[in-house]
Amino acid sequence: MKNLRDKYCLVGVGETEYSRGSNRTTRALAVEAVRAAILDAGLTASDVDGMLDYQSGDSTLANHVAPDLGIRLNFYMDVMGGGSSTEALIGLAMGAIEAGMCNTLAIYRSMNGYSEFRIGGTGARAAQPVRGLDLAQVPFGMRSAGQNFAPTFLRHMYEYGTTSEQVAHVKVAHSKHASQNPKALLKDRVTVQDVVGSRWIVKPLHLLDCCLETDNATCLIVTTAERARDCRQRPVSIMGVAGRVSKPRLDFHWAHGPITRVAGYYAKDIVFGQAGIGPEDVDVTGSYDAFTFTTMLQLEEYGFCKKGEGGQYVSSGVIELGGRRPNNTAGGHLCEGYTHGMSMVIENVRQLRGTVDDYCPKAAEGVHTYDYAPGRCRQVKDAEIAMNLGWAMPPLGSALIMRR
Amino acid sequence: MPQPVQYRGMSLIAHARAHRLVVRKCAACGLLRYPPTHACPWCMELRFTWQELSGRGTIYSYEIVHHAIQPGFKELTPYPVVLVELDEQRGRPTPDESLRIIANLLTPDLRPEAEEKVAIGTRVRVVFQDLADHMALPQFTLTDEPPQGRVWRLP
Ligand SMILES: [Zn+2]
Repeated sequence: MKNLRDKYCLVGVGETEYSRGSNRTTRALAVEAVRAAILDAGLTASDVDGMLDYQSGDSTLANHVAPDLGIRLNFYMDVMGGGSSTEALIGLAMGAIEAGMCNTLAIYRSMNGYSEFRIGGTGARAAQPVRGLDLAQVPFGMRSAGQNFAPTFLRHMYEYGTTSEQVAHVKVAHSKHASQNPKALLKDRVTVQDVVGSRWIVKPLHLLDCCLETDNATCLIVTTAERARDCRQRPVSIMGVAGRVSKPRLDFHWAHGPITRVAGYYAKDIVFGQAGIGPEDVDVTGSYDAFTFTTMLQLEEYGFCKKGEGGQYVSSGVIELGGRRPNNTAGGHLCEGYTHGMSMVIENVRQLRGTVDDYCPKAAEGVHTYDYAPGRCRQVKDAEIAMNLGWAMPPLGSALIMRR
Repeated sequence: MPQPVQYRGMSLIAHARAHRLVVRKCAACGLLRYPPTHACPWCMELRFTWQELSGRGTIYSYEIVHHAIQPGFKELTPYPVVLVELDEQRGRPTPDESLRIIANLLTPDLRPEAEEKVAIGTRVRVVFQDLADHMALPQFTLTDEPPQGRVWRLP
């Protein structure tokens, strides 16, 4: 496959407040996030001529957001999708520039995931008609993401002896990280006992194994390495990307086992092949935490540990700040807020810049204490390479490797 | 209950109303597939016939829903959702593939089965839950057959 390593960069990141009740439209949220990312990059509206966004019938369109900011577009596309779209759209942005269609793109996701279209499947989502392939699951009371994914985790417990206590460490780690993040919705640190003692949602998932529902918008700016040199921030180079890689039988992935295998099985060779590195070279990960176990499943599938040893890996301290390879240092979807993957890339961009927005007084200048006690620092020291593992569902995922 | 749109893909539901569990069988390579998709995923053949199955299988994985999302399921919690590996076509055409189906595990009188009775490896058979004159759901219930492989349930 073609290799564009280090030819494209992420130069701007931005987001709105994470809330449970924005009292604003997704258009207003998107405009604020795109504006913030453009300003972060040190660019102006006339520098941006491409736009990509993703949604599932719950958001605004690029042809509204761009003109609100005075942006004239040479290329845009609104894409249907949820988790794992972030990395895929970064790859599409590179392709659009490579094809000569535009020069600099803003990628956004805007949602009132708490106050309008609840991500958990209640409200407007529960009222959607059941037809076509939905008939194979929805009439049996299997509709929400938790209900759709839980048998995958249960089978992993059966095949590999993985426990609820092991994956609870993902929530514990991410809550520790969120306690260093002024933006996070949930800043309180929790224990393994808090997680396994919380009420059942769909066994084997407890309440605290599940991510949040959040109102927010987020944005990333992609341009060429050449243009990145003139931007305000230290550029972050894209080493490799794999977008929406699927397992066979995406219509009904249960038909093709082992069902404990996730899409990273197919994506890892693409993304590591482009980047020319291996898991051992990665300093920070952003493994999508729709649930505690999704983080675990992806880390093991991409080779951060042996297949089946994800439970040991995530409970070993490796994924916590201060550990060898922290995961979702902003708190992730379990604690910071739910963004369909965008915030995990934003956080890794900031990690590679060295300017994570923690409680260190001079964080914006890149001065950090590396004191991971509550309410202090969440910057990883000398982070050079970061990797995002985007999740949509067990048979569908994306990946991104970046370096400073 | 509102009348669902009738089209050929609904045949599975219509067959279920006649208390028959059917899947599509490729007219070229003969492999069975579920759900009733529109081409053979192994050879791209469009033509198919409906094949009735024994309705016997083994629980491959499951979940117990305690917090229902759909309003109609709230009074049924906790209810088990099971992934059943059917006896026909196990491990074919590759060792990783099998004919599997999602349903609820029900008691013989069609109530949600008690969660302490649900386990991977347990043998089940199809039963039919009539919902209206024109439709029914294929569901599963426990049998007294010996289990297949290791029996395991959530501790
Ligand atoms: Zn065929």
